[in-house]
Amino acid sequence: MIQDLAEVGPLGVLERSSHQGLGKGHLGVLIARAGVGKTACLIHIALSKLFRNEKLVHISLENAPEKVNFYYNVISSDLTKYLDMAQVANIKALIPRNRMILSFLNQSFQIRRLRENLANLAERIEFVPDTLIVDGLDFSNVSEDILKEFQEIARTSQVEIWFSALSHKHIADMNERGIPYPCNHVDHLFSIILQLEPSQSGIFLKLLKDHGNLIPPEAHVQLDPKTFIVTA
Amino acid sequence: MLDRIQQLRNIGISAHIDSGKTTLTERILYYTKRIFAVHEVKGKDGVGAKMDSMELEKERGITISSAATFCQWNGHTINIIDTPGHVDFTIEVERALRVLDGSILVLCAVGGVQSQSITVDRQMNRYKVPRVAFINKCDRAGANPYRVVEQLRHRLNHNAVLMQIPIGLEAHFSGVVDLISMKAVYFGGPYGEEVVAEDIPAHLVDEANARREELLDAASMFSDELMEAIFEDTVTEELIHEAVRRGSLRRALTPVFMGSAYKNIGVQPLLDGVTHYLPSPKDVENTALDLDHDGKGVLLTSDSDAPLVALAFKLEVTPYGQLTYLRIYQGSMHKGGELTNTRTRKKLKVGRLVRMHADEMEEISEAGAGDIVALFGVDCFSGDTFTDNRLNVAMTSIFVPEPVISLSVTPKDNPSTTKLSKALNRFVREDPTFRSHVDQESGETIISGMGELHLEIYVERMKREFGADVETGMPQVAYREAISQKVAFDYTHKKQTGGAGQYGRVSGFMEPSEEGVFEFLNQVKGGVIPTEFIPAVEKGFQSCLEKGLLLGFPVLGMRVVVNDGQFHAVDSSELAFRQAAVGAFRQAYPSARPIILEPIMKVSVECPSEFQGNVLTSINQRRGLIMSASEDGVFTTIEAEVPLGEMFGYATTVRSLTQGKAEFTMEFSRYSKVPDHIAEKVKAEFAAQKKGGKK
Repeated sequence: MIQDLAEVGPLGVLERSSHQGLGKGHLGVLIARAGVGKTACLIHIALSKLFRNEKLVHISLENAPEKVNFYYNVISSDLTKYLDMAQVANIKALIPRNRMILSFLNQSFQIRRLRENLANLAERIEFVPDTLIVDGLDFSNVSEDILKEFQEIARTSQVEIWFSALSHKHIADMNERGIPYPCNHVDHLFSIILQLEPSQSGIFLKLLKDHGNLIPPEAHVQLDPKTFIVTA
Repeated sequence: MLDRIQQLRNIGISAHIDSGKTTLTERILYYTKRIFAVHEVKGKDGVGAKMDSMELEKERGITISSAATFCQWNGHTINIIDTPGHVDFTIEVERALRVLDGSILVLCAVGGVQSQSITVDRQMNRYKVPRVAFINKCDRAGANPYRVVEQLRHRLNHNAVLMQIPIGLEAHFSGVVDLISMKAVYFGGPYGEEVVAEDIPAHLVDEANARREELLDAASMFSDELMEAIFEDTVTEELIHEAVRRGSLRRALTPVFMGSAYKNIGVQPLLDGVTHYLPSPKDVENTALDLDHDGKGVLLTSDSDAPLVALAFKLEVTPYGQLTYLRIYQGSMHKGGELTNTRTRKKLKVGRLVRMHADEMEEISEAGAGDIVALFGVDCFSGDTFTDNRLNVAMTSIFVPEPVISLSVTPKDNPSTTKLSKALNRFVREDPTFRSHVDQESGETIISGMGELHLEIYVERMKREFGADVETGMPQVAYREAISQKVAFDYTHKKQTGGAGQYGRVSGFMEPSEEGVFEFLNQVKGGVIPTEFIPAVEKGFQSCLEKGLLLGFPVLGMRVVVNDGQFHAVDSSELAFRQAAVGAFRQAYPSARPIILEPIMKVSVECPSEFQGNVLTSINQRRGLIMSASEDGVFTTIEAEVPLGEMFGYATTVRSLTQGKAEFTMEFSRYSKVPDHIAEKVKAEFAAQKKGGKK
C-alpha cells in the first residue's frame, strides 16, 4: 500500500516513462514560476523516495525546518487520508526516520558547509542519504561552478539530487534544446529537467530532458493542483 | 478623548534567558517614576532589580516567578508581567500570556533569535498575542540588529519592520534614528532620562531614508489612507502610527525597536511603541465558558458596568499572606464587594484590593475591566474564575502540560516534615505543573514537574522559604503503559456470601485507541446490561487505568467496547458491575500485550556550527532522533526528539562538548514505546525498587 502511494506521485510516472528515473550520481531540476508549487512537487518526489524506505536529506535555502516539516505533514496527510490508522502510523514513523532537514537561512548556504553537514550525518549518526532535495537555490545567480560541485557530491556520495528553479513570466528565454530560463545555460549539467506549468484544467508536469533519451508523449502528465497526484 | 480602557496596556516581557529583560523592566520602572534608582540584576549594590522578588532569583540572576507591576507613561497605564526566561518555567509564561493583551519580545543584538526565543514566540502565537520587538544589548561586541531582524523574519516568520536604526554599534552605540519623526534620538543625564531629538547624522541619512521607505511600504499594506498619502507626499506621523498599529493588532506586522537597557538607550521610545502599537483590552476578544449551557462560549466585553468576570492567574505567598493575582475581563470589583468562585461556588468578600508593584503594593478601593489587581486572603487555585454571581462562567482553562519527571523528597528531621507539607501545599496551588503525592508502596513523598531545573528550584525554595531540610532521590521518568493489541473479555462477577449477593457479567473487547485517551463505547443491545449500570461499568474500567498491571504506571490510549453481558434481577447493582469491569480489565489486560511508554522530549540545541558534529553524536548516544539542523550565520540549531530518561545531566555534557558555547531547551512532545531492551531494564529496576521498598 505504501508502495502504491509512491507510484501515484509525479515521480512514479516519470520513473516508469524514462526507464531509470534520475539515478544516483545525477542532478535533476524542476522549473516553475512562483506560486505554482515547486516545493510541493519536490516534496512529492521526496515522499515517493521515503515511502520506498530510502533515506533523504531535504535542504532548504529559504525555509526553517519547522515550515518544511509542516509542508511534509500537509502533503503526506493528503496522500494518506484514505489509509487505515495503522498504515498512517507506519508512514508517520517512516518520514522522520528516513528524512533529515537541513536549512541554510539568511544567505548562509555554502557548499563547504553542506559537505561538512553531510559528512557529520554519515560519520556521527550513520545517516547516509540516497537523495538530496535542494529547494530555494537562486538559479538566476548561481554559478556553473557551484552546480558542478553539486555534481561532484552526487557522484562521490552516490546520491541523486533534485533542485527547484524559479522561472519568470516576463523572461521567455529558451535555448535551442527547448530548455527555458533559468536553466537554459546549465542544462548540460542536469540529467532530468522537468517543468511545472499551470493551465485552466490543472497543472502539467512536462519532461523536458531525460538522460538524452527521446521523450515519449506520456511523459507529460497532468496533476491535480491540490494534491499533485497524477490525473491524466 | 480616549477612555480609561483604551489607555490601558496589559503587557508581558518575554524573552530568552539573559537577553536583559529584567534590566529592561527596571529601566521602564525608573523612567515611569515607579522607582527612583536603578539596580542591576545580580545586584552589585546588594539591592537587586525590582522585578526579581524572590531571594533565589536574586542569587541566580534569573527571573523565576512572574511579578506583576503597574506604571504610567504618556497618560497610559501599563501593567507589566515580567516572565521567566527558562523553558522549564514556561507555565509561568503561558499563564502570563493568557491574561495579557500584548507583549514585548526582547532579543539580544548579539545572540539574536535563539532557541528559547522560538519557544516563547510559539507560545505567544498560541495565545494570539501581538508583540513589538526590542533588540537589546546593541552596545555589546558583535551586536548586529539588522541580522536579528532578518532572523525575526526567517526563523520566526514575523513581518518585522524596523521603526528605528542604530546610531553606531557596539562600543560606539549612542542612540537611535526614529524612522517616523526622522530625528536622531539621544539619551542624556546620568540614567538616560533626558531624551534629546536632533538631526540625523549625515552618514546615516541615506540608510534612514531607505529604511523609512521599507517601513512605509510595510505599513501602507494596512491603511489605504497611508497609501494615498504616500502617493500625494502628505504622510503624517499619525497616519504611520495608525497603520502600524492596525498591522500589529492583526499580528501581521511586528514593529522593531532597539537599544541597550543597560546603557539607558532606547527604552523611552519602546514605551511609546507599547502605547502606540499594542492593544488595549478593548482591542482583544476574550471568551468565557458558560457553565449553565454546556460550556458554550460567551463573548466578554471590556465594560466595567457589565457582570464581573475575573481570572486568578497567579498565587504568591508574601510576608502579608496569600496574594492572588487577578485579571478582570469585564465588570468591576470593589473593596467590600462579594465574589463567587465558579469552581467551588464559594462566596467571599473582597478584603484588601491592591495593585502590585513587584513586591510592594498600593491599596486601591476599586478596579475595572482590563485591570490586573491582587487580593489578599482568597482561598483558591491558580486558574479559578471569579464572578459577582450574575454570571456562572469559567475562563477557558490555561493549557497545563502533564509533569514528565519526578523526584522523591524525604524530610531530614521531624520539624522539616511539617514545613515540607506546608511548602508542598503552597507550591501545588501556585503552579499547576508542579504535583506532589505520597507513594503508597514506599511511603515516600514524590514531587513531579516539567524538568530537572523546575524541581531543583522547588527543592531550593523548600529549604529557603520554608526551612524544610530535605533529601532528594534520583530523578525518575514518568512512564506510562498502553496495550498494543485487541483482546476480548468476558467476565462474570458473582458473590454470594450471605445477605444480598453481587452479580454482573460484562463482555466485549479492549483495543489501543489512536488519540491516546480513554474511550468507552456502549454497544450493548436488548438491555442485557440495564442502562443504569453502564456508567458503573465505564467507571470500573476507568479506575483500572490509574495503575496498569505491567509495572503500575497509568494506562494511556485504550478503547473499551462492551457489547454483551448479563444481569440478575436481585443481585445486580452498580457495585457489582463496577467490580465486573475491574475483573474484565484484569482478565484481558495481560493478554493485550501491554507495553511501557516513555516521555519523548523535543530538544533544541544551538551551538556554533563547528560543534555540530559533537552535538549530533551526543544526541545519537542518547537514543535521540535528529530531525533537522538549521544554519544561520555561524550558528547551527539542531532539533531532535530524545527520550527524557536519557536527558538527565545533558546540560553539563553539552557544555563540555562545546566549550560552554551551546545551549539547549526541551519540552514535552509525546509518549512513545520504550524499546524492548530498555523496557527489560526498566522492569528490572522497578522490581528491585519494589523489593527494596518491602524490606
